[in-house]
Amino acid sequence: MDLEEFRSGLDAWLDENAAALARDHDGLPTLDQEMAQIAKVKRLAYDAGWIRYGWPERVGGLGGSSLLRGYLAEAVTARDLVDPGLFSMTEVLAPTMIDYARPELAAEMVPRLLRGDETWCQGFSEPGTGSNLASLSCRATRTDDGWVVNGQKVWTSLAQYAQRCVLLTRTGTPESAHRGITALFVDMDSPGITIRPIVTIHGREEFCEVFFDDVVVPADRTLGEEGQGWAVAMDLLPFERSTALWQRGAFLYRRLDELVATAPESLTPDQVGEVFLALYGFRARSLATQHRLASGERLGPETSVDKVLLATAEQAVFDAAADALADHVMFGDDGDAPRWRAEYLYSRAATIYGGSAEIQRNIIARKLLDLGADR
Amino acid sequence: MTGGTAGGMTPGGMDRDERELFAKSVQHATANHTGAALDAALADLGWLDALAADRRTAVAVLFEHQGAANATSSALGLVVAATLGAGPDPGVGVVLPAAGAWGPPGRARGDTLTVRGLGLAGLADRAEALVVAAPDGSGGPTAVRVRVADLALRPIGGLDPALGLMEVTGEGVPAGERFDPGAEAWEAAVAAGRLALAHEILGASRSMLRLARDHATERIQFGRPIASFQAVRHRLAEAFVALEAAEAALDAGWRDGSPRGAALAKALVGVGARTTAGHAQQVLAGIGFTTEHGFHHHMRRARVLDQLLGSAKTLTRQLGEDLLRARRLPALLPL
Repeated sequence: MDLEEFRSGLDAWLDENAAALARDHDGLPTLDQEMAQIAKVKRLAYDAGWIRYGWPERVGGLGGSSLLRGYLAEAVTARDLVDPGLFSMTEVLAPTMIDYARPELAAEMVPRLLRGDETWCQGFSEPGTGSNLASLSCRATRTDDGWVVNGQKVWTSLAQYAQRCVLLTRTGTPESAHRGITALFVDMDSPGITIRPIVTIHGREEFCEVFFDDVVVPADRTLGEEGQGWAVAMDLLPFERSTALWQRGAFLYRRLDELVATAPESLTPDQVGEVFLALYGFRARSLATQHRLASGERLGPETSVDKVLLATAEQAVFDAAADALADHVMFGDDGDAPRWRAEYLYSRAATIYGGSAEIQRNIIARKLLDLGADR
Repeated sequence: MTGGTAGGMTPGGMDRDERELFAKSVQHATANHTGAALDAALADLGWLDALAADRRTAVAVLFEHQGAANATSSALGLVVAATLGAGPDPGVGVVLPAAGAWGPPGRARGDTLTVRGLGLAGLADRAEALVVAAPDGSGGPTAVRVRVADLALRPIGGLDPALGLMEVTGEGVPAGERFDPGAEAWEAAVAAGRLALAHEILGASRSMLRLARDHATERIQFGRPIASFQAVRHRLAEAFVALEAAEAALDAGWRDGSPRGAALAKALVGVGARTTAGHAQQVLAGIGFTTEHGFHHHMRRARVLDQLLGSAKTLTRQLGEDLLRARRLPALLPL
């Protein structure tokens, strides 16, 4: 199916099924409500086939360009059917499984993720391991038939909902840095896993601490080879900066559109022009990235440019909203106020998660400007 | 895949090999010539034919190299004339809108014109010039040939004397041969001019970034290249990001083909140029503040070209006014 056919077919399906797809709550959803909504949308889109396009047939997909996934993500975001960040985790985790899991495992698991039957999480960061990912210390020890994991992860989004986790572990010596890391696909109901949600400043338990005490992981749940975990992580990260960002851009476009419609008298032309320009620059850049991905190019450090542009645009949109709707954001408790406030607060994290703004600039300096080592 | 690819697409007129050959000869011309000599070199290498066959490649390649090399030519006028359907004639100059403006530079008064505009350096050497005039009453603009001798030309020094701009004025200027380019033609000509200028500003900005980058890797302080300091690296990264966004917007501007797409591209390039100039100058430090280093030529050029056919600041404000009036955003760059 080509993009035009997909676009018109999906738009028509979204119109016809608007009632079934609609949110069954008013106002700012709780995280439970949001997760239920995402599962519902995924299930309906899977049964109708739409969410299966752009994924290979061997993992339950219907084939076609990754642009089809990009348009689906954009379309459900434009209609406010899903939270873009939570919905787009599929875009980050499914490619990892397709590239690194045993084919039988990928064929068994990926359809569950696409259909919304399961939620997966990504166990990367640790208390002592934020920007310096290669220093992680959560240890996996070899046994006769697999691994035993001991250690702790943090900032693990949706761990309390997740059935599976793509987990980075230390399998080499503590000094082995990026060479001694192995990726595992872990069942979250394994004995020995403890989860403690953390409340964010925007009032959601969106991420967690996860503790591993003698957690047994079978050998056939190894993603890639032992010691290949760094490659798994490096291949995964550009996906955080491609289709997922395209969807986030669509979200920002909808919110800026709503802001301009709601409060035009509180905005200055210069401010609106600057914010729109920032968003347009991101969109133009991300458009090229979507097409590079679709043409089979391997994405790499150049996606750090997309991330910097998106984070800058996101904060610009919600800075403008917090100025124009100051009464709502600071004092309001009704109507749209909690949503604008939550989104304003969440936008502060845009320059922190998924590789901080500083890390992105370090990558750009080293890999794209060839400035050499930074010490 | 439907639609164009956003990556390396092949424009209609030239194939890949032809484009590479063309780019090479343009680069050679802009690196070795400027002003009238560059006009002659462009005529020799067939730039006007390229403009007719493949406008995007001709404009993008020439103006980016011209900006990167800090060269000047009469090509901007030819781009405007070609878009008006005038059949660009290197022997005829083109009067551009006055600094900061983008309305037609002329006003028709019966058989004569009032002219307030800008000329490129080569205008003084031409016998005739093309002036687009807003109509006296209703109707669309008219493109009129006038004798350069009937215009007053004042060389502009300003921030970038090497650009050689001229202030062009005239009262009661006798109108020669005229044609009606159509109601939308002026807007299209401004859009084409904006894309060309955006490429030139982008070329100048890439040169600024390259100079700063090279300086940072060569300049040793505290026993190591200053490029190893994060404060320096992040400035250069910030400039790089701004120029990548600008380049993507330029690509989108050509693809989209609308006057709005061209305005957005020029605004983003202008913003990127300003960001780059600031960071590059700071990284270049003392030497970048002298005329012994090439940086200042590019900084002057980018800043002055930003003012032509609408600056980033004015275009951004106008965009904001449009959005607030419409109370909604325009549809954006489909996948």
